[in-house]
Amino acid sequence: MPPGISASDFYNILPELVLTSGALVVLIVDVLLPKERRGALAWVTLLAIGATLASLVPFRSTHVEVAQGLLAVDQFALFFKVVFLVAAAITVLMSVRYLEIEGASPGEYYFLILCATLGMMIMAGGIDLITIFIGLETMAVSFYILAGFIKPSHRSNEAAVKYFLLGAFSLGILLYGMSLMYGLSGTTNLRVMAAAFAGQETDARLVLAVILVVAGVGFKIAAVPFHMWAPDVYEGAPTPITAFLSVGSKAASFAMLIRIFLEGLPSMGHDWRLLFEALAIITMTVGNIAALTQSNVKRMLAYSSIAHAGYVLIGIVAGTSRGITATLVYLFIYAFMQLGAFAVIVGLRRADVAGEELKDFGGLHARNPFAAFAMLLFMLSLGGIPPTAGFMGKFWLFSAAIDAHYNWLAVIGVLNSAVSLYYYVRIVVFMYVKKEALGSEPATSPTLAVVLGVAVAATLVLGVYPRLLFELADASARTLGAAGVTTSLR
Amino acid sequence: MSPLLLAQVALTLFVFVMLLSSAAVMVYVERKVAALLQQRLGPYLVGPKGLLQPIADVVKLMFKEELRPRAADALLFTLAPIISATAAFAAFAVVPFGAETTFFGLLDERVRLQVADVNVAVLVIFAIASMSVYGIVLAGWSANSKYSLLGGLRSSAQMISYELSYGLALATVLLVGNSLSLTDLVNRQAGTWLGFIPRWFIFVQPLGFFIYMTAGIAETNRAPFDFPEAEQELVAGYHTEYSSMSFAMFFLAEYINMVTVSAVATDLFLGGWHGPLLPESLGWIWFLIKVAALLFFYVWMRWTLPRYRYDQLMAFGWKVLLPLAVINLLVTAAGVLYFGL
Amino acid sequence: MLSPYIPIAIFVVVATGFALFTLVFSGLLHPEKYNKVKLEPYECGIEPLTDARDRYSIRYYLVAMLFVIFDVETVFMFPWAVIFDKLLLFGLIEMLVFIFILVVGYYYAWQKGALEWV
Repeated sequence: MPPGISASDFYNILPELVLTSGALVVLIVDVLLPKERRGALAWVTLLAIGATLASLVPFRSTHVEVAQGLLAVDQFALFFKVVFLVAAAITVLMSVRYLEIEGASPGEYYFLILCATLGMMIMAGGIDLITIFIGLETMAVSFYILAGFIKPSHRSNEAAVKYFLLGAFSLGILLYGMSLMYGLSGTTNLRVMAAAFAGQETDARLVLAVILVVAGVGFKIAAVPFHMWAPDVYEGAPTPITAFLSVGSKAASFAMLIRIFLEGLPSMGHDWRLLFEALAIITMTVGNIAALTQSNVKRMLAYSSIAHAGYVLIGIVAGTSRGITATLVYLFIYAFMQLGAFAVIVGLRRADVAGEELKDFGGLHARNPFAAFAMLLFMLSLGGIPPTAGFMGKFWLFSAAIDAHYNWLAVIGVLNSAVSLYYYVRIVVFMYVKKEALGSEPATSPTLAVVLGVAVAATLVLGVYPRLLFELADASARTLGAAGVTTSLR
Repeated sequence: MSPLLLAQVALTLFVFVMLLSSAAVMVYVERKVAALLQQRLGPYLVGPKGLLQPIADVVKLMFKEELRPRAADALLFTLAPIISATAAFAAFAVVPFGAETTFFGLLDERVRLQVADVNVAVLVIFAIASMSVYGIVLAGWSANSKYSLLGGLRSSAQMISYELSYGLALATVLLVGNSLSLTDLVNRQAGTWLGFIPRWFIFVQPLGFFIYMTAGIAETNRAPFDFPEAEQELVAGYHTEYSSMSFAMFFLAEYINMVTVSAVATDLFLGGWHGPLLPESLGWIWFLIKVAALLFFYVWMRWTLPRYRYDQLMAFGWKVLLPLAVINLLVTAAGVLYFGL
Repeated sequence: MLSPYIPIAIFVVVATGFALFTLVFSGLLHPEKYNKVKLEPYECGIEPLTDARDRYSIRYYLVAMLFVIFDVETVFMFPWAVIFDKLLLFGLIEMLVFIFILVVGYYYAWQKGALEWV
């Protein structure tokens, strides 16, 4: 074995290897199965995700660097990996019904979902700019294709092209910032980089690098003013993909953001905090105000998702261990409520009805009380009303901000939550108050029911008993940074 | 000017002239051999035994009117033959054709018989070989003629398809030789096994040689893979609209590419300038003999085998040659590991 | 000693110069008689109706995409092959894994008909 690589490195990336093998199996099974039996692919995919989740178990308290600092295997990465895998599993469950209605061939679809998940996992573990970038590309390229997966739909095609063009553009900006970071420090490893920058005078070029990386990451988390792609892509992409995009891609981008800025550029903390503070305020405000006027629920959720990126940024700005914990907690909770809301939209999708317009929700309570109740819960949770999980998440985020003396940031956050209630409650009003049954009967299926059940349970349980999650997130946030001595890259 | 530099410049010009004349010789040989294979006489009027025929051809082409279709893209149309010819010449620059020599004591230092001794020669050849597709595809596109376009498209698809197997065959040799320098690779083939089998890589890599030659023939667009200019279907393929010396440039490029492929094959598989009987300083004679044999093989193939069908060509390249090349690479790697070649 | 790449550059310049010179030189020798019909692209004797740069088969595009993938693969194998005597068994296993993943893609492309020409 060449120097720098050892057998334990391969053991430590076991979950990634399992997922890769799973993806390859899905691809092969896709061409082996006759066309009419390809629905079984969803179960193969779920099996692959389950196997990957199981393979995470031995790494509960591992804290090492793989291959001289290419990847970190720690609880921080583990936490995110669980989020990604759970989100992927829920997305797959949602997709079964959706693909049936759309009449799309499932083959590459599930393969690409697994590929995107793999990219996310690498992003969460990456502590080297190269690894992070490879993970980001793996995820992004998969999403470009997935966004355009409903080939006959013009909107889906539009989403794919817009996402691809803007995504490629933002990657260019990000890469340019990364190359500046590399040029100024002489290393691509974030931990070595942090040591190289420590105690240095602020370099104007490094400030430029920070601005570029913030812009690049800003695109990925859809922070205003880099959010222009989000509404169109979210609206046009297949609904389960929109859900996965807004949960998985966002969480992965936040993981990447935390790795790059907290691990790699702590010395520039003053500069990037300022940038993120501004971003958080604009993002929350613009996202919420724009969401107020939307009549398409997917589009509304897109703006709401932008606003949520703003809330999560508060935790990053606080930057304390408590802030990072709040970020992790919020991303975890957000995954369930967002996926759940999209699952309801998938349920409303019929062959002749898009099911995404506000009026499609009219009188949903009368037609399907469970779906209406679930949607009610998700909306309250997204708005931050107790006893839902969303309340706990927001509470923790804002208290972390106050803890770090960003009082007015917390105030703006709370005000924004109040504004957001208007459009969340509007859906509830449509579902419960409007009696004219404009929409058609929701198409329920066992898989969709499972998704809704899980999301509802998580939203309620985490709202009532969040302690375990907090403890896990707290432990994860504390593992950021190298264990013991920082290893040097050659 | 130091004698060393002078020698280098002289060598460069010498190689260039040799390549040019080899193309002329090939024109003659091709026609003569074709005639022999078909029981005809071939050229015999111009000069003794028709030996001056290539010169007559060039003179004729020189005085021909040069046409450019009205709708053609003027710049690219002019550029394409130049690119073709330049790429063809450039690939030969890194091919060594003899051992180090002092030119019978004329020089103090020893020089290598090659234009440029770079340590990544194999990569350079691979890179420049892929350049030649530009000349052809530009020629096909710029002429604004349907036959040209089809010829250009076909040839680009064919060339890139076979380039994969070509590259993999090269990689297999690197595996055995552990170097990217052609000179090193040739020197690894000096000596013999058991006293009489030369240590040529062809004996270790028969399949590699087969893949290399097949892909090489396809890369140079020669029969039985001469689709870009399949006369019966495409008139003259990508150079349908070319005349006079521009046409001659494509012709020249084709022959020089043949010479380069043969020369590289000689260096990689046939032991280069190593051979029995002759002293090392005269090794280039062996080199010439081997290249000549391969070129004869080229011509022989052309007049013996009928042309494939296009879908057969693509299927052969993607479904047979490529998997074969990959398997050969892996088996060779395992062999190197096991026998420690 | 000169950088080994300079002779290549000289060689390229000589080759380009030769090509240019020949073209210009023959341009001085040969006649030029204008004739409208002569400058039409060769087709079949009838005046061409449409531009030649029309839509053409998507297959060429597929081949190009596949080429990009596999060519990159080939380029990866060059450095691997050169230092294989140092990597040994580890190198072989790594390459087997690498090629296995590619073979899956290759098999997929084959089954989806990307390699069929007709």
